[in-house]
Amino acid sequence: MNVDKINKKLKENGFTDFSVRESPEGLVLEGESSNWNDIVNAGFCTAKKFGKIHVINDARYTGDEIPPMRRPELNDKAIDGLYPDVLVIGGGIVGASIARELMKWDLDVLLVEKEYDLALGASGRNDGCVHPGIDLVKGSLKQKYNLAGNRMFDRITIELDVDFDRCGQSVAFDSEKLLPLMHLSKIYFRLMGLGKVRVFNQKQLHAFEPAVREELKCGMFFPTGGIVCPYNLTIAYGENAVDNGAKLSLNTAVLGMEIEGNEIISVNTNRGTVYPKVVVNAAGVFAENIAKMAHDRFYSIHPRKGTNTILDKKTARFVNTSYTLRGGEVKKEGNTKGGGIVRTIDNNVLVGPDAVETYKKEDFTTEDKNIAAVFEKQSKATEKISRGDTITYFSGVRAPTFEEDFIVEKGRKIRNIVHAAGIQSPGITAAPAIALDISKMCVELLSECGEKVLRNSKFNPKRHGIPRVARLSDKERSALISQNPDYGEIVCRCEEISRGEIIDALNRSVPCDTVDGVKKRCRPGMGRCQGGFCGPNVAKIISEQKNIPLENVCKGDDKSGLLFGRSKGGDRND
Amino acid sequence: MTDFDVIVIGAGPAGLAASLAAEKKGKRVLLVERAARMGGILNQCIHDGFGLIRFGEKLSGCEYANRYINEVRASKVEVSLLTFVTRIEKKDDIFHITLVSRSGIRIVTSTALVLSTGCRERTAKQVSIQGTRPAGVFTAGSAQYYLNILGEMPAKKCVILGSGDIGLIMARRLTLEGAEVIGVYEVKPTPSGLTRNIAQCLDDFDVPLHVSHTVTRLYGESRLTAVEIAQVDEKMRPIAGTEQIVECDTLILSVGLIPENELAETLDIELDPKTKGPVCDQNYETSQVGVFVCGNALHVNDLVDYVSESGDVAGSAAADYCGRKRELVDIIAGKDFAYAVPEKLDVNSEASKTVVFFRSRDVRDKTEVDVLVNGESVYKRKFMKLKPPEMERIVVDFSRVKVGDRISLEMWEA
Amino acid sequence: MVKEIICIVCPNGCSLRTEKNDGEVTVTGNKCPKGEEYAKSELLCPQRTLTSTVATAFSEHPVLPVRITGAIPKGEIKIAMLEINKIIVDTKLKCGDVIVKNFMNLGVDLVATDDVDIY
Repeated sequence: MNVDKINKKLKENGFTDFSVRESPEGLVLEGESSNWNDIVNAGFCTAKKFGKIHVINDARYTGDEIPPMRRPELNDKAIDGLYPDVLVIGGGIVGASIARELMKWDLDVLLVEKEYDLALGASGRNDGCVHPGIDLVKGSLKQKYNLAGNRMFDRITIELDVDFDRCGQSVAFDSEKLLPLMHLSKIYFRLMGLGKVRVFNQKQLHAFEPAVREELKCGMFFPTGGIVCPYNLTIAYGENAVDNGAKLSLNTAVLGMEIEGNEIISVNTNRGTVYPKVVVNAAGVFAENIAKMAHDRFYSIHPRKGTNTILDKKTARFVNTSYTLRGGEVKKEGNTKGGGIVRTIDNNVLVGPDAVETYKKEDFTTEDKNIAAVFEKQSKATEKISRGDTITYFSGVRAPTFEEDFIVEKGRKIRNIVHAAGIQSPGITAAPAIALDISKMCVELLSECGEKVLRNSKFNPKRHGIPRVARLSDKERSALISQNPDYGEIVCRCEEISRGEIIDALNRSVPCDTVDGVKKRCRPGMGRCQGGFCGPNVAKIISEQKNIPLENVCKGDDKSGLLFGRSKGGDRND
Repeated sequence: MTDFDVIVIGAGPAGLAASLAAEKKGKRVLLVERAARMGGILNQCIHDGFGLIRFGEKLSGCEYANRYINEVRASKVEVSLLTFVTRIEKKDDIFHITLVSRSGIRIVTSTALVLSTGCRERTAKQVSIQGTRPAGVFTAGSAQYYLNILGEMPAKKCVILGSGDIGLIMARRLTLEGAEVIGVYEVKPTPSGLTRNIAQCLDDFDVPLHVSHTVTRLYGESRLTAVEIAQVDEKMRPIAGTEQIVECDTLILSVGLIPENELAETLDIELDPKTKGPVCDQNYETSQVGVFVCGNALHVNDLVDYVSESGDVAGSAAADYCGRKRELVDIIAGKDFAYAVPEKLDVNSEASKTVVFFRSRDVRDKTEVDVLVNGESVYKRKFMKLKPPEMERIVVDFSRVKVGDRISLEMWEA
Repeated sequence: MVKEIICIVCPNGCSLRTEKNDGEVTVTGNKCPKGEEYAKSELLCPQRTLTSTVATAFSEHPVLPVRITGAIPKGEIKIAMLEINKIIVDTKLKCGDVIVKNFMNLGVDLVATDDVDIY
């Protein structure tokens, strides 16, 4: 790599405040700016699409203070002195699927997550698309793991008892000029193993997705696309890992590491110090920080925020697959590149996401202008989506590298770490396949130092999810209610969720005692009233089940209490 | 033979009145309620002011509900509590209703159906509040439930968005219970709640009301720490540069009620985009024959007395329902009306005392409301003042209206 | 002393301008005599009713709605709340049952407005 050439390119592109130097770790970007986008763009300008050399961003951002990582206030010794074979850092889809995959081996696995629940980062804040893998760079890890992961989805979701709908993905185009190209690419996609990819003319397109705008000319359909609930899949992976003996420690943030030579000796957390033989870095937006603690930083993450809007179920009848609009006059428009209209697995419609570079790794706020821009863009595909049907909206932050590819490999300087970093879209799709490779790497590393790693003969791949009572036939539902009448008492009227399902959510192998945790696991409060009616009842059930006073019930983390204590009662007020 | 003549869904004030009215006509009535007790939202309305028209007394919400509940208990109405309707199907003019409860699934049939399913509250996301997603953002009804039913304080220091009546009542309740209410903010240029509530819930406790202001943003990662408030222009859009940050631990929303008509939608019942409730005739029969609607599911009322009245009408009409052929004439409300109910008149049915409820679109002084049949006035009434938050009730004799006639409502300056 | 109050007797909601001099009240802005009457009572001896809840000893029904049977001077409301907050009901009262007779010697009773045993 010729650094002079890159520096010249930086100059030519106006990034005069930046320079690049080569280090044994990678391409180090230096300089400073008060404009974060300049730093990101200088990073892009430096990045090489392929190869093993990554941009390491050392440029200083002078605009604002970069907020520190949110960390739990908790300080105890819950995991102090543990000697796991593998420590997995990060309870997102990547960490949870790795933990579960590792349980297929006779290993002692510890999964740590700094938040109060799994899937609170990007894994719980995306559109849930299982992508066919059509628009990825050939030869990239993204493409490799997308294709492999996609193929694993039917089996994984059956094993983990998670809803999955291979409804396909459609793309609509506003120009017929693309038709010949589409017919060519159809053959290519079919050869790639994407099944019966179809090209639609205008009539076929409208027959297939009647809600797309009349003026849209043609489209393609990819049958291997699908939808899944990304946080339920993550939680399911976590539960199955724990069911098979993995240890899970929530509210546990990695704060430092002790390194000796080329080896991590211990990992320090707010809940004690652990001594793992191998460390897996699946820390999402914080993967670079973990890599740095491990003295193995050879890439950088630049956070990229996206906002999605969820619409009322009544809109879902207009959407058969998930679809996007491409081509013609509709080009990449600033911050609204990508995204689409998705019928979610729970039959809502999701609109979004957009893509906004940010220096805040945990900025989950939403902005009206971003949502408005997404609707403006997606309305070009169909007029059936309206902000008036909004139920809720949320933001997530992706964790891309400057090369915009995944990093799935063993440590470069440090012997006992494995990185699963830079995982952004199609991360949900890719996770099952990434987990396979990462677990193999862990086993190799353990074997290298003389460990004899055996298969776990007791591994049970099957998980039983919480029954979705409303979906059962009358006969099945009656039978269930006669076994347990709680399944007959509807608490959430919008989503038709019973008390029994809520109690189930509170008593599973991945602990849950929060309103949001229950909401994610079985959906009370996900409907159009957003918990207006069922919220107090859910809080009461949590209080009863967990034997805690109502005022100690939290929405999410332990500082998010719902209530301030009893209003009445003489001395009981004290 | 059906299991019941009339099935009433929802045992709030509308459903209680409807089931009693049908039972008084000797019909077999089933009243279905998803909560553990009858009374609906009245159970959490511990404040008084209910029943002035019906009972000539100022009752609390629970007292008002209890009068009806006791009457239902003493009647032959069959009540099914903690029971949820999952499906309604109409086959050969008979309604088949699937009920789920702790004792299992039960499918019951009836000749007529009354929907008294009430309304729900609009949420923070429906009024486009941005920022973080912390704990401490409640609809006024949820906050009221926590405080009045569970006896728990939902707020210490709060901002109330929206000057709807529940918001105003909660301002007083929270103040009396020791919380600090920093202010009530209303996006419209005029208050949404009744004047007496503004006087007795805000003025009495020195809680300021800021009209033409809204909450635009939430702060706080875990619990709410502050809200951003902005002034709005005449189109209710926030004006840049007017933002101010107000520290608080709770935001209470009283930003509107929406009739709950998800069951009605499954029966393909036509809804009125203005009321968000079903289009109906003077008997509150919907576009789906045999299905009647009343209370806040029909349109959002300000007084429970009128809710009960609509329950009476719907319940007795459901009792009399025998598949008779209707002939409907539109009742068209002019542009100065926010809405008028009913939207139709069935000329084959009693029409000499048709109750028409309406709201004006804007605040108006000295206004004459004129009801016209084929352009000829059949009813006139002068109002000193009309305000959108205050629903008006008039009784019009439509007995001479025939098929093909045109009924219209107009209002002019008097 | 000049004070603006909104009349709540009817939906007109007249803005009343009141002036109080040596116990004499003059009212302007009212469109009817009821407005004057209202303004005078508001200025000379404002009265309010009060509804609230009291704690119970029953966990399934932690609070019971209550009210006082008539209006009391507005100035007493705060103290009345403190009194109400001290009460714990440990019997299964019915709607209308008296909890405190002649509450705070104000000549009104504190009564339950719901049953303790609601189900």
